[in-house]
Amino acid sequence: MTFWRRFLGGPIAVAGLAVSAALGPGLARADDCATPPELTDAEPSLPHLAERLKAHQPVTIVAIGGASTIGQAAGSPDLSYPHRLEQSLAKDFPGSPVTVVNKGVARQSAKQMLERFPTDVFAEDPVLVAWEVGITDAVRDTDIDDFAATLQTGVEELKNRAIDTILVDMQFSRSSTTVINFEGYLKALHRVGDLADAYVFPRFDMMRYWSEQKVFNFDDVAAEDRARLAARVYECLGLKMAKVIRRAIP
Amino acid sequence: MSRDLRLDFFRGVALICIFIDHIPENYLNYFTLSAIGFSDAAEVFIFISGFTAALVYGRALAARGALIATLQVWRRAWQLYVAHIFLFVIFIAEVSYTVRAFNNPMYNEEMGVGDFLERPHIAVVQAMLLQFQPTYLDILPLYIVLLLIFPAVLLGLRRNPLMALIPSALIYLAVQIFSVDLPAYPSGSVWTFNPLAWQFLFVLGAVLGHAETGARDRERVVQAAFWPALIIAGAALAIRLSWTFHGIWEAVPAIFLRELWPVSKGNLSPLRMVSFFALVMLVARWVSPQARFMRAVASRPVVLCGRHSLEIFCLSILLSALGHFLMSEISSGFAMQAAVNLVGVATMCLTAGLLDWYRAVQRMPVAPTAS
Repeated sequence: MTFWRRFLGGPIAVAGLAVSAALGPGLARADDCATPPELTDAEPSLPHLAERLKAHQPVTIVAIGGASTIGQAAGSPDLSYPHRLEQSLAKDFPGSPVTVVNKGVARQSAKQMLERFPTDVFAEDPVLVAWEVGITDAVRDTDIDDFAATLQTGVEELKNRAIDTILVDMQFSRSSTTVINFEGYLKALHRVGDLADAYVFPRFDMMRYWSEQKVFNFDDVAAEDRARLAARVYECLGLKMAKVIRRAIP
Repeated sequence: MSRDLRLDFFRGVALICIFIDHIPENYLNYFTLSAIGFSDAAEVFIFISGFTAALVYGRALAARGALIATLQVWRRAWQLYVAHIFLFVIFIAEVSYTVRAFNNPMYNEEMGVGDFLERPHIAVVQAMLLQFQPTYLDILPLYIVLLLIFPAVLLGLRRNPLMALIPSALIYLAVQIFSVDLPAYPSGSVWTFNPLAWQFLFVLGAVLGHAETGARDRERVVQAAFWPALIIAGAALAIRLSWTFHGIWEAVPAIFLRELWPVSKGNLSPLRMVSFFALVMLVARWVSPQARFMRAVASRPVVLCGRHSLEIFCLSILLSALGHFLMSEISSGFAMQAAVNLVGVATMCLTAGLLDWYRAVQRMPVAPTAS
């Protein structure tokens, strides 16, 4: 799946940029963190969220994950992707107060996050959960089948409580992929999403695209620029996720 | 003594598949042994290793007695251990090269630069104790442990195959039922290939390899198992293919994906065992020990790879690490992948040829020098 998309992603993106450049300043300001359209053209099924938003009821979203959820690299949870998501959704759905609760804890495996579900997720009574998972498992070389089973258990539990789920896959950087083999974990995560009909937000593919197109440089970053880079990436990811969520709401 | 070419040939195939499978996002992944059923090259490698170990060391046991045979087995285990240390050094080199780039804000907090880099002294010791098994360094520790216990297996086999089989099967069942794991480093992780489970495959291979005298019994088993094996292998192929195609085109239904997946590789799930043995039965029936296609010139490189499996395995790990590195640094496009695959397999075959030539030359009698 990923392989074929990457094959076509380049030409499509170039064509898209060429068209928007040709149309000139009449168009809206060019997106700083553009990605190939197929990365954000999914229509996830988020029925419970849609219902709440349509009825203009308050919406709680829990973002559970690791350091990239809590926004540690950027310096503050206010610069994290869940916060950006909250800001973006508040703008899009003014009739419904939207709260995104950030439950990111650095260096946690899938199993550790699953153990936190009762206190950190269910206690907040959310209608949607964004579960960012996999990096620590890949680093620690967790058994991939165990990882898949843990994810399946978590997603099942969420489904049983009528909570919509978005899975967020791993971060990409060229140097890390040299040493950490994410592939098995990526495939497992995507397959769990496929089996459970849960949308998988393709963070890995997006960051890889940005890295290859030199939109963001994830390697060789000077110390003083690091926090700013992380903040910008988190902002882009938050906006992209909001965009995808908008597509789910009819 | 005519050597059963199937052992070398299929071990060579397994080694090539292991090389290909170790390179992530390699389109050739679709064509390795993992694509035709639920088992993959690891089963082939371990099974054939058990088979040949019983063949070789069983003979030593009969000819030289228990002590000598045990020392021979443990000497081989030592060779594997040295190879493992060598691969670990390669791993350290590769990681050290990229360590500077790990000052990466996006990863720092998640990884702590990969715990092993923060505490290299602990990591090295843990690797020497076979406890630290990063990517690529997971099969050899298993093989080493299997050889360490092998003398006991051999002694049991000498009496009666069941003496080796029954304890082995019981341990395997214990793993399946109680999920018994072998802890590794860093704490919280386990052995990638659980020796408690994989020993069963090794012992089964040894039982079949040892039973050279029971050739007629084996014939009968192969005959009887043919139709079930064909059906099982066919079903496994169909199911696996549907999963593969479903990954490419979502419209294709993935048969039994929900019910069967994930199929545990670390603990050698029974599904993998059954799928694998179906293939073994079919090969035993359809491919004769000296089949023409294996004797062909084109097959010779594969046979040689299998014949020098330890050296070629180490080389394959080195090459796949290098290939992965090049694909990350330069490009992971189609052309690069093709180049990496081609050069990698060619290097393995050429090296195997070289090793074989050297061995043959070494064995030639030396002409007395004229005085």
